[in-house]
Amino acid sequence: MTAPKKRRNPLPAIAQAGPVSVWMVLFVTVPMLFIIYISFMSRGTFGGVEYTPTLTSYETLADVTYFAVILKSLQVAVVTTAVCLLLGYPFAYYIARKSADVASRLIMLLMIPLWTNSLMRLNAWMLLFQTNGPVNKALLALGIVQSPVKFIYTDGLVLLGLITNFLPFAVLPMYSSIEKLQKAMLEASADLGATPATTFRKVTLPLTFPGIFSAIILTFIPALGTYTITDMLGGGKVLYIGNIIKNQFGTIRNWPLGAALSVLLLLITALLIFLYSRFAKIEDMEVL
Amino acid sequence: MKKALSLILVLVMALTLVACGGQSATTPSGGEAAGSKELNIFMWSDYMSDDLVANFEQEYGIKVNLSYMNDNADSITKLTAGAGDGYDLIMTCDAYMESLINGGYLEQLDLSQIPNAKNINKAYWSEQNQGYCVPYLMNYIYVVYDTERCPIEITCYNDLIRPEMKGQIGSVDGARNLFPIALIALGYDPNSREESEIAEAYEWLVKYNENVVAYGSTETNMVNGTISCMLTYDGNTAEAMAQLGADNTLTVAPFTSDPVQLGFDLYVIPKGAQHMDAAYLFLNYICDAQVMADNLVENPYSCPNDAAVAAASEEYRNGPAFDFDYKTNVFFQEDVGDAITIYDKYYQMLKVG
Amino acid sequence: MKNKKLLRQRRNAFWSALYAAVIYALFYIPVLVMIQFSFNDAKRNYSWEGFTTQWYGKLFSFGNHDLWESLVYSLAIAVAATVISVVVGVLGGIGLKKFEFRGKKFINLMLYVPIVVPEIVLAVSMLIIFMTVGIRLGMGTIVIGHCTFCIPYAVVTIKGRISGDNETLQEASMDLGANRVQTFWRVTIPSIMPGILSAAFLSFTLSIDDVIMSNMLASARQSTLPVLILSVNRTGITPDINALTTLMVLVMVAGMLVMSGLQRLRRKREAREMAEAEQRISTLRG
Repeated sequence: MTAPKKRRNPLPAIAQAGPVSVWMVLFVTVPMLFIIYISFMSRGTFGGVEYTPTLTSYETLADVTYFAVILKSLQVAVVTTAVCLLLGYPFAYYIARKSADVASRLIMLLMIPLWTNSLMRLNAWMLLFQTNGPVNKALLALGIVQSPVKFIYTDGLVLLGLITNFLPFAVLPMYSSIEKLQKAMLEASADLGATPATTFRKVTLPLTFPGIFSAIILTFIPALGTYTITDMLGGGKVLYIGNIIKNQFGTIRNWPLGAALSVLLLLITALLIFLYSRFAKIEDMEVL
Repeated sequence: MKKALSLILVLVMALTLVACGGQSATTPSGGEAAGSKELNIFMWSDYMSDDLVANFEQEYGIKVNLSYMNDNADSITKLTAGAGDGYDLIMTCDAYMESLINGGYLEQLDLSQIPNAKNINKAYWSEQNQGYCVPYLMNYIYVVYDTERCPIEITCYNDLIRPEMKGQIGSVDGARNLFPIALIALGYDPNSREESEIAEAYEWLVKYNENVVAYGSTETNMVNGTISCMLTYDGNTAEAMAQLGADNTLTVAPFTSDPVQLGFDLYVIPKGAQHMDAAYLFLNYICDAQVMADNLVENPYSCPNDAAVAAASEEYRNGPAFDFDYKTNVFFQEDVGDAITIYDKYYQMLKVG
Repeated sequence: MKNKKLLRQRRNAFWSALYAAVIYALFYIPVLVMIQFSFNDAKRNYSWEGFTTQWYGKLFSFGNHDLWESLVYSLAIAVAATVISVVVGVLGGIGLKKFEFRGKKFINLMLYVPIVVPEIVLAVSMLIIFMTVGIRLGMGTIVIGHCTFCIPYAVVTIKGRISGDNETLQEASMDLGANRVQTFWRVTIPSIMPGILSAAFLSFTLSIDDVIMSNMLASARQSTLPVLILSVNRTGITPDINALTTLMVLVMVAGMLVMSGLQRLRRKREAREMAEAEQRISTLRG
């Protein structure tokens, strides 16, 4: 952080920090306060909100079925995040060690698939794995299986969809922080007799921690809140917290409950950010 | 000084934003005596032929803007949030009509402006709904199975929860599509408002849920061999049968006594619609026998427009998807009023597992 | 000994390249399948039925104006959202890094909310607030919605690129007599250019693929391409959508190649000029 400034012309500060501040207050703070507010109201019979205060939504949340859903969603999000980190870190490391030119091209290569619609990509996975799809045909032809395997609508395929969807967002921040590592520092560590494993554990990992944590946040929370992926690949049978929130604002039309569930997600997020702030300055969080 | 400046900046920003929002909206077409030049419709995608729209545009010189919903609730969300007046026609279904009318979300229709509405079979257009909606197409929600792959013959809803059917079923989703079949299987009123009956239906659906592979995309899953039995709409069945072509081994389940659901997709004019005149022209246009008959080629759903069905192709009228003899043994989704919250609660429980 | 080390390095390089290839495959397999099904000879992509190019023909006969219109609409929204997000993000990134003011901590916290809150929550609350204030839904509201989740990414990306060097450079620039605006354009902006490009890239990517905001805040007139795809998905994706998406990717890849080609040319020219300058200096010295 820069040293406190002397009193001077406030215009630059307002011109620069002003727009973003106003935008965030108008379109983030106000809607979020509103969500918190309606979570304490009653549901209108036909969607919408009746403005009589009640704790019904939170009492509903205390129900054990919701607890089970939240637990299951957390579990899926944790697995997704863990796999994304494990797959993504070496990958990010690989890219970051290349020359700047090659690295920027490799990053581009990573982003191109994101320009195709994500639903189309999910649809492609379904086509690939469906009961009479190419994967099953290959397995049958090779004699590995005797009858088609039902891959689609299984937890495995949901996980595959989640991982391929979020992995790029885990790679980018990690790449960004690994890239900033001074090569000299790694060499110094090696010269001082540290084994590659020790160098990794004692130097690389701690110094790239902000990137790793950003990757966790950018994967874990969206994975916790997603519903298109789980809806499409899960066949609408297994519901996660994101689906349930969406349903409250959609078919089930219980906005206050949806709001209360959102507040719950906000709290989980706040907890994560709090944890992050114990390890690193939040200002250091990176995305790309 | 600093405070004053920031205050001014905030105000300027806010004003620009409001202006931005305002710009993108149409200028209210208050005194458009000459007739509207555009029509905004909110409906399902892939549910009306491109030719119909193009021909209407050409004939009346009105630009039709279509936008699509992903869920029946989308239109309800828009209406209840107060965004209905951005549209001139919204598609919804019969189950929501009573609430929409009572909630004051709809414009009352002047049927004298829709002379072609006489083509519509009044059996499918209840007295109270006539003032507020025009039926477009209708769907039977029935059971279809593959005679070669399905382990058993299905003749009633209770067959669907037999253990042999585990991992065989694809199904439509939604509380008001699923609960009625359970209520009928249990011998209750499909539009029951009794919590005890709905709770029993929930128990039935838990068993059903165990046999279901996936909700939605029924025809895709049928064609690619993931399921062998589906609870689905007639139009989707027609699509699946057409895709299978000569290999078609699908058949509409020969139900003997259980009634099937007949649902309607209707057009309503939301309160405050800005191009009412164009909306009336369009409603009258789609009620025309030949126009609707042509539309049925691409959208082979059941149709409440008797004159259109009479004018439709042989292929449509003899389609295997409509080859079942219990067309009159149907029930309708009725608005269940406050009991909807009971349905929602049990539907939620079903989905949470 | 040295040989062995070299061998090990080579082997490591091989395995890591293979690993990267596998990860890339994970991203590209669905894209290739998607492209394959743009040639599917079936009305809907339930399964592969044979090869045809008719969908591209249909696309270019512009019979399906729905698709093209929604593509143009999506692109327009993505460009607008990217421009606004980058401008607000650059200013904000610099401002939040450089200045201390009351409420800064709060704004910093707010920036993380759109990144971490499920989009549906933000979308519905924005819809209700727009309705309450009386703002008509339309392209403007979708752009506002997209900016709201793009700006945080832009700010965070740009903040990450501002280092201590910038401060020194800026002060040097001011000491040399440049005014604040000149310094901003000539020194600050070029020094964070990579960050700006990343921010633009991210914003565009996020906006072009967004479904949830676009669906909730949509105008009565138009659906964006992703919203259209989601609604078509109900009955099965039609191959013409695959064809359109394929074309979109090809155009974007081509654009990218052209840009990186230009960049390389520029870098070569700079290197040549540098070499010439050095030569001149050395001849002068000589």
